[in-house]
Amino acid sequence: MPNNQSDLSEEYGIDRRQMLGAIGGGGIIAISGCLGGDSGDGGSNGDDGGSDGDDGGQQTIQFLTMGVGDNIREFFEENNAQLEEEYNANLEFTSVTWDNAQQTVNNRVDGGEAPDVARWPARWIPQLVGKEELVPITDMMEGEFGDQFYQGMADGCMYQGEYYGAPWAASNKCLYYNKDIFEAAGLNSEDPQIDTWDDMLSAAQTITEETDTPALGLAGADAIETGSQYYHYHWSYGADLIDDAGQPVVNSDEGVEALKFYSDLHLDHGVTQSSPLSSTRQDIRQLFESGSLGMVIAHVYAGINIDNSDAGFDYGIMQVPEGPSGRYSLNTIDGISIFAQTEVEDLAKDLLRFYFEEDRHFEYASNKGFMPTVEAVGNRDYFQDSKNWSPFIEAGQYARARPKLSNFNQFNNRMVQAIQEALGDQKSPQEALDDAQADLEAEMQ
Amino acid sequence: MGTAEEYTESSTDSRLQQSAIHLRQNRQAYLLVAPAAIFLLGVVGWPIFETFRLSLYRSPADSAIETYVGFQHYVNILTNDFFPQLLWQTGRWVLLGVAGKTLLGLLIAVHLKDDIWGRKFFRTTFLIPWGIPYAISAVVFRWIEHPQYGYLNAILLKLGVIDQGIGILGNPDVAWVGVVVADIWIGTPFMAIIFLAGLQSIPEELYEAAAIDGAEKWHQFRYITIPQLKSVLLIATLLSTIWTFVSFDVIWTMTGGGPINTTATLVIWIYQVGLQNGNLGEGAAYSVIGFLFLMVFAVIYLRIYTRGGDEL
Repeated sequence: MPNNQSDLSEEYGIDRRQMLGAIGGGGIIAISGCLGGDSGDGGSNGDDGGSDGDDGGQQTIQFLTMGVGDNIREFFEENNAQLEEEYNANLEFTSVTWDNAQQTVNNRVDGGEAPDVARWPARWIPQLVGKEELVPITDMMEGEFGDQFYQGMADGCMYQGEYYGAPWAASNKCLYYNKDIFEAAGLNSEDPQIDTWDDMLSAAQTITEETDTPALGLAGADAIETGSQYYHYHWSYGADLIDDAGQPVVNSDEGVEALKFYSDLHLDHGVTQSSPLSSTRQDIRQLFESGSLGMVIAHVYAGINIDNSDAGFDYGIMQVPEGPSGRYSLNTIDGISIFAQTEVEDLAKDLLRFYFEEDRHFEYASNKGFMPTVEAVGNRDYFQDSKNWSPFIEAGQYARARPKLSNFNQFNNRMVQAIQEALGDQKSPQEALDDAQADLEAEMQ
Repeated sequence: MGTAEEYTESSTDSRLQQSAIHLRQNRQAYLLVAPAAIFLLGVVGWPIFETFRLSLYRSPADSAIETYVGFQHYVNILTNDFFPQLLWQTGRWVLLGVAGKTLLGLLIAVHLKDDIWGRKFFRTTFLIPWGIPYAISAVVFRWIEHPQYGYLNAILLKLGVIDQGIGILGNPDVAWVGVVVADIWIGTPFMAIIFLAGLQSIPEELYEAAAIDGAEKWHQFRYITIPQLKSVLLIATLLSTIWTFVSFDVIWTMTGGGPINTTATLVIWIYQVGLQNGNLGEGAAYSVIGFLFLMVFAVIYLRIYTRGGDEL
């Protein structure tokens, strides 16, 4: 084996120029690897230009949104093109799935690659306000632009006295029931008289006795929406999640009662679909949409989906039942916000004004199946007279949003664990909520 | 004979000289690997360092401010009641997953090595699960095991074994079984192909000689196949262990770590704590612990396997 440099070079046929070339090549690859960037967000567009990039006076704006399905893709394509033309701008539109959404936003913000504008759940606002990454748009919202929104929905984008977004869309919940199944069970399908949770339980017991169809959809899977489904019960029993000081109060007597009722629907009364711990909110909605479930709490688009399918059954929509302390419909607001990293703030504000023009907002809300946030749109006959929409408009009076906590995911995950422990009969509702309370107190210190 | 100090000094000098000579002699080789080494340091070494640094800070997702907390996260993790359960679940996931993939892979490879009818077809077919993205396979398995729509329940209902759908993935006692089965199905083809390549490199003469000596099939397998496959087995199981340990897609897609965290592994927990809950510092501490586990495992494993002086 050669043991010196010249011998080595000779044996392997490497001369100095080849060696330098190889080193240089390797170096270039290494450097380009280090410099080469990719937002890595799985979005539909590659980002190769900054938002301030000018191209003959043309500004570039990045618009990030989530969950753009087939029913709304064309809407965005057409309107983005129109905005580009009207404002002589280049719009880079990215849509990510909800699974990746929060992580994408965090990665881009932390990496200094925040979009200029993003549409997202308003409950994420506190997290980014804490990082000073959002532009307050209070001036806009307190002026003519802000006057067009339902006040309650606009307030959903307010945090610490400032507006950090405009309400893009909203959703309430109602109780759907399958009229065919109600008829088969001998229940009044046109006026089922379900006003309280006990009324709902009574109807569910009848369906279970008289038919082979599961009566009630109950979410219990390890998913964020399990909390959303359960909170209807929690709140209506008079329980709360946090107190005025922002501290957890999940294990009140009322909360324990609510969780007991929720878990007993499966464990004692057996009126739910089998294995609720396997079921996400989407699972039970789809089960209902396929005609294989008696009742479910769901969004407006459950009805729209049924109408657009060949499911072949009739359904009715009622308000979410009332508990001992009232009736609540979980209200979710999606906001559209401007990021502090933007260098095209004026154009970003123009984008907001553009997308909230009345006809455009109507087109979005009616296609997507979300509640309109612009009052004039909500007052249109399309929403007021519709069998699908009117109960949800009415539900606005019972609307209640989840608390705005910067660590809401963590809070909610712990609540979901407590719900699962009770529903899976691993702990009593009291034990499950006591443990959750202790953990949440420790986490929120 | 000199003093210990002299001996140490002269020994150090000698080693330094040797190193310098070695460096001079191999300068070209070191120069050639330098760009790749620098690149690796940048993309592997730096993130590891940064993860460790982050684990010493409280770094909530809702604030740009990092607060130094020393080893507080590690203390919290090691004294957390859930940590032993997490380790047990991770160990169970890795052990059963790797064992299942290895045994099934070996079984398939041994049979595919023989000149059976349709061998080419089977070889291709067995590769399919590995070629499908893990998340898609996981969705399919979630669907198969679905209590309302799943094939499995449909078959059991038809056979009259059950009278209503059972939710495997919703049962805290058995959900892990449903997830492990999916992982074995996904990972077995890779093991089978690796083992098949190893089997084909074993000289046929060894088996012929053993047969002449009267060795039964089992003895041939035990005393020829396994020893000859040793290095392949080592690499394949080591890789499979690492991949299974860091596997995320299957569990996350099928159960999200639930129900009641019973299918969560260390990697799932890192994601939940660090990214979902926004506690980046604590998540980083879990990552460092996971990294150390893998390092210790790899070193012990390699030592055991190369104890006899074998090289990979």
